[in-house]
Amino acid sequence: MSVKERDPLTGHQTTGHEWDGITELNTRVPRAVWFFVFVTHLWALIVWVLMPTWPLVTTYTKGLLKIDQREEVEEAVIEANLARADWSEQIEALPAEGIMADPALALRVNETGHQLFGDNCAGCHGLDAAGGPGFPSLTDAAWLWGGDTDTIMETLRVGINSQHSETRFAQMLAFGRDGILTRDQVRVVADYVQSLSNPQPASERLVEGAEIFAANCASCHGEDGAGNRDLGAPNLTDAFWIYGGDDESLFTTIHNGRKGWMPAWEDRLSLTERKILAVYLHERRQEADR
Amino acid sequence: MSSLTATERSRAFMITMTVLLGGLVMAAVGHGDPIGMQGWVVILFTAVVGVVLLKSFDAPDPVEDRSASYYDDPTRVGIIIALIWAVIGMGVGLWVASMLAWPNLRFDAAWSSFGRVRPVHTSGVIFGFGGNALIATSFHIMQRTSRARMPNQVLPWFVLIGFNLFCVIAASGYLMGITQSKEYAEPEWYADLWLVVVWVAYFILYMRTLARRNEPHIYVANWYYLAFILVVAVLHIVNNLAIPASLTGAKSYSAFAGVQDAMTQWWYGHNAVAFFLTSGFLGMLYYFLPKRAGRPIYSYRLSILSFWGIVFFYIWAGSHHLHYTALPHWVQTLGMTFSVMLLVPSWASAGNALMTLNGAWHKVRDDATLRFMMVAAVFYGLSTFEGSFMAIRPVNGLSHYTDWTVGHVHAGAMGWVALISFGSIYALTPVLWRREAMYSWKAVELHFWLALSGTVIYVFAMWNSGIIQGLMWRTYGETGTLKYSFLESMIAMHPYYVARALGGLLFLAGACVGLWNVLMTVRHMPRHAPERDYPTSSEATEPAVPAAE
Amino acid sequence: MLRRLLKPFARFFEFHARTHYRAERHSMALTVGIILAAGVGGFVEIAPLFTIADTVEDAPDMRVYTPLEQAGRDIYIREGCYACHSQMIRTLRDEVERYGPYSLAVESKYDHPMLWGSKRTGPDLARVGNKYSDDWQVRHLMNPRALVPQSVMPQYAFLQDAPLITADLPDRLAALRAVGVPYSDEMIANAGVDALAQARPDSAEAGGVFERYGDETAVRTFDGRTDRVTEMDALVAYLQVLGNLTDLPDAIQPEVEE
Ligand code: HEC
Ligand code: HEC
Ligand code: HEC
Ligand code: HEM
Ligand code: HEM
Ligand SMILES: [Ca+2]
Ligand SMILES: [Ca+2]
Ligand SMILES: [Cu+2]
Repeated sequence: MSVKERDPLTGHQTTGHEWDGITELNTRVPRAVWFFVFVTHLWALIVWVLMPTWPLVTTYTKGLLKIDQREEVEEAVIEANLARADWSEQIEALPAEGIMADPALALRVNETGHQLFGDNCAGCHGLDAAGGPGFPSLTDAAWLWGGDTDTIMETLRVGINSQHSETRFAQMLAFGRDGILTRDQVRVVADYVQSLSNPQPASERLVEGAEIFAANCASCHGEDGAGNRDLGAPNLTDAFWIYGGDDESLFTTIHNGRKGWMPAWEDRLSLTERKILAVYLHERRQEADR
Repeated sequence: MSSLTATERSRAFMITMTVLLGGLVMAAVGHGDPIGMQGWVVILFTAVVGVVLLKSFDAPDPVEDRSASYYDDPTRVGIIIALIWAVIGMGVGLWVASMLAWPNLRFDAAWSSFGRVRPVHTSGVIFGFGGNALIATSFHIMQRTSRARMPNQVLPWFVLIGFNLFCVIAASGYLMGITQSKEYAEPEWYADLWLVVVWVAYFILYMRTLARRNEPHIYVANWYYLAFILVVAVLHIVNNLAIPASLTGAKSYSAFAGVQDAMTQWWYGHNAVAFFLTSGFLGMLYYFLPKRAGRPIYSYRLSILSFWGIVFFYIWAGSHHLHYTALPHWVQTLGMTFSVMLLVPSWASAGNALMTLNGAWHKVRDDATLRFMMVAAVFYGLSTFEGSFMAIRPVNGLSHYTDWTVGHVHAGAMGWVALISFGSIYALTPVLWRREAMYSWKAVELHFWLALSGTVIYVFAMWNSGIIQGLMWRTYGETGTLKYSFLESMIAMHPYYVARALGGLLFLAGACVGLWNVLMTVRHMPRHAPERDYPTSSEATEPAVPAAE
Repeated sequence: MLRRLLKPFARFFEFHARTHYRAERHSMALTVGIILAAGVGGFVEIAPLFTIADTVEDAPDMRVYTPLEQAGRDIYIREGCYACHSQMIRTLRDEVERYGPYSLAVESKYDHPMLWGSKRTGPDLARVGNKYSDDWQVRHLMNPRALVPQSVMPQYAFLQDAPLITADLPDRLAALRAVGVPYSDEMIANAGVDALAQARPDSAEAGGVFERYGDETAVRTFDGRTDRVTEMDALVAYLQVLGNLTDLPDAIQPEVEE
């Protein structure tokens, strides 16, 4: 192939080389390319001057704007806190009813509560707050410690059986495993517990169950099995179960005991956030009632 | 094998047995540790290679004059292996995609969990499919553009088979839970070491072939392959520096920690994209596209500009994977600015390819093989534009951690890497096996449309899900607090995950059609010797200066 | 005007193209050129991370992982949890509000390798420690969909049946010391014992764990079983310490209030 041959189609010169039939044109670099080289380099240069960019062995150029990502986000957080201060103060100050009476605050509770609940609580209590095996429903009428906002807030602050120094403490003893009751006795009292929410014709077995209950359980769950909110002992006469009301779950509960673990949120969630959650739950409760 | 001489066969056999011995040692000392299982994988692999060698051990030496032809056997085997890895890798990709849509679609066994299977997909397609396609095509191209046969017949086999041993160790290891959890560099220290050996052999082979060339100048495709080999070696060695917990166990700990480890990892990870998934495949593009189109490269000068631009700028861009993280802000600024400057050389290569098609657009219309390459160049332009855009900090603030990244990856990986490979394989197969044409041009056409529609569905699904996800994470309600919980963003992904699996299914179907078509071509097409496909001496004269027009 | 501005680029390139034209005749020249051109960026970005002191903050209270936690970390690595979970809270307002204080470099200074991740199919885990109970973590790993019906996370029930192998823990800690984690001889020598003791609060050896790793160390039966120490114990111990190795992030960052 001769030097400076031209491509008949475009009229451009070739470089004169050929590799396995492939040739190249010596077309100049289109001006548009230089233009974009110029633009991108200029932009980069400006950014380098303004932002932290070049390392200098033990330090780096800080840029004219003296921006750093950490300061930026910290400012953004502080600013956001300030922008929300109005709301927050009102929410902290008002009682639940007062908050929900104010449509603006109610919106806040619903929106924020929804997200806070989804990110922090849904893992245990479910997105709809309906609970699941081992995790109480927060929409039913059965509360271990009480369903008013103050009680809920205290539960949130310290948790239940958590690592918080003031945690609420609640334990269902392991009657079977610890040898307080025999396996048979556990079965009998379980039947009795079932009969509390699901009345059955009187029988000898139920009488025996009632006796065991009175001797072992009433101290926490009450004579009538209606529970004790000071101890976090659940009401056994309603149809709401944390761990389940079938034979097997009841047997496990009474035989092995239970000790639910509800995290303390004092370090993770602010006071306003906990208040919002408490009011939010209060609302879900009432919705469920309707 | 019949083209090897008796000495070469015994040399190959000795190497194989040495490696087998290595496997035996691993199996023996690694008793009770996963490395022992890996030893068995090595033994099995090398035993198969050994049996194949033994089968033709006593065959007579070949009589033909070697210098009169190119050595294509390793290329042929490499192409078939690449296609098999494509089917495996993308099949696993489809499985992985389906697991995110239907999480119970797995076996009740540890090896089948998402975290263990996903790297089988990424390594399977990148190293298995991509790597083999690169090695095979590079063997072809370096000989053709140098008008010289490879210097040695054992070395290319060592490179090809050795590389596949690495891939098999890697993939089987992931399923056993052997991984360093360094993305795209997951294999453990012994596999990493083995790859270094293979890679050095590859480099020597490449350099020695170039040294024998009969054309004073080295063609562009070879610059790119050379950059691929060299830089991947450097990246691989540095990022994989680690101390094994014990020489008889698989586990090792990275030499770097925390922020330095993160920077090293993404310096590696990003440039694995640059020098594995881009540079090598540009080499492929630079050979097969002009060849198939029958047109000269649009601009030699543009090639120079984009080549050195890519080599220089890409390296700086790794920190765009770490925007807003605990990596110091200054490194992020560097990563962002260099990523944007990088767009120009990237587009220059894509533009150079597309402009080369001037005068051949009618062929693009009629020839699905050329269309594969054309569309690949377009996707290359598209994904590099997207990449540079995503590298801008505020944009990355939205896209990072989301499916947008996955969409970008697959625009590049399916649209660019896989399409250019398929196009090249269709162009190469008839030449390699001395056939008239592909067995079925209709099947090529079908594959093209399956691949294109699969890619488009995949990428659109992930753009949608990624942007939705990113926005949901940062949407503030009217009252200035976050609106959605993470769980809700996860639930919103479901329809897109289903759509992605559908796109993947189409793409996989295309790859299967491709494998079938290549096998049928080899088996059933009549022989046809191409013109002048053998080493010749240079006909070029040296132009004085490469002045612009 | 534009043409004048672009001129320097074009002139530089003219020089560059001539140099290249000469270099492309020699494979070694190309080789050297490529290594040089590709060497600069990595060096400029990585080397200073070792020399600029404030790259990694000072946190005097930062502690190393206990052998049990490190074993859990190795399981986290083995199972490829990084494929779905990040451990890096970015400096963005929404991340700080959702996950807590942004992650500091010092928090992963003993992490070989780091597990910052690149995809959040599941939530960030940088501060998941103590967010849930051990029991929740165990049940969640056994079957995520039993607790979170919408979850796409795989189940890892086999961890509960896999006894934790402690024999190689001294080797592992020693290798970590070789790459810079300040484990003492005593920690390395007792690694196996400490790992078991941390999951057996009533054992005589439990005191050694406090002695070597501090009074704040969580010594519990993480998987709820006292009869043996499993991989589940290790993984949960690791998850529960995430974000709790130092108090620095909490101390220096403004708190999010609502
Ligand atoms: C680790 C799992 C877990 C998480 C996360 C969790 N909880 Fe609980 N929660 C429990 C358990 C278990 C109980 C019941 C404790 C018991 O059985 O004694 C409980 C009890 C409660 C109670 C008391 C119910 C009553 O009947 O008095 C309230 C209120 C509550 N949770 C609200 C929340 C809120 C709000 C969140 C999120 C900020 C949350 N929980 C997060 C596990 C969890
Ligand atoms: C020391 C106080 C105490 C005593 C005594 C006690 N309980 Fe309980 N019980 C509790 C507490 C507290 C819980 C809630 C545990 C939790 O949620 O983690 C509970 C839970 C239960 C539950 C589960 C309720 C549900 O919703 O799933 C049943 C059933 C039960 N107790 C039955 C009994 C019976 C029967 C006895 C006697 C044999 C008994 N309890 C004795 C404190 C006690
Ligand atoms: C297929 C992706 C996937 C893999 C692999 C995966 N996870 Fe998850 N993970 C999720 C998703 C999705 C969620 C959110 C839903 C849920 O809680 O199950 C999640 C949630 C979690 C959570 C709760 C986080 C929180 O703050 O609510 C923890 C802890 C967790 N995963 C740990 C792990 C560990 C440990 C591994 C590895 C052994 C792992 N995950 C592997 C997807 C995954
Ligand atoms: C049948 C076609 C394919 C399907 C169904 C598929 C599916 C997937 C899935 C589901 C993931 C995981 C995404 C996540 O974790 O959320 C993934 C990741 C990945 N795939 Fe594919 N894939 C296909 C083809 C390819 C090809 C051809 C390549 C490369 C040549 C490729 C390269 C990758 C890479 C690099 C990742 C990791 C992305 C990241 O970490 O951001 N894939 N793929
Ligand atoms: C100019 C060229 C390119 C630039 C500037 C670029 C930039 C980026 C950016 C910013 C990300 C997201 C990082 C994150 O947020 O985590 C990314 C991810 C990725 N890109 Fe590109 N990209 C380019 C070209 C390509 C091409 C051609 C491919 C081809 C296959 C590719 C493959 C990938 C992969 C695999 C990832 C995922 C990495 C991970 O696992 O997180 N990129 N790229
Ligand atoms: Ca590795
Ligand atoms: Ca990734
Ligand atoms: Cu990148």
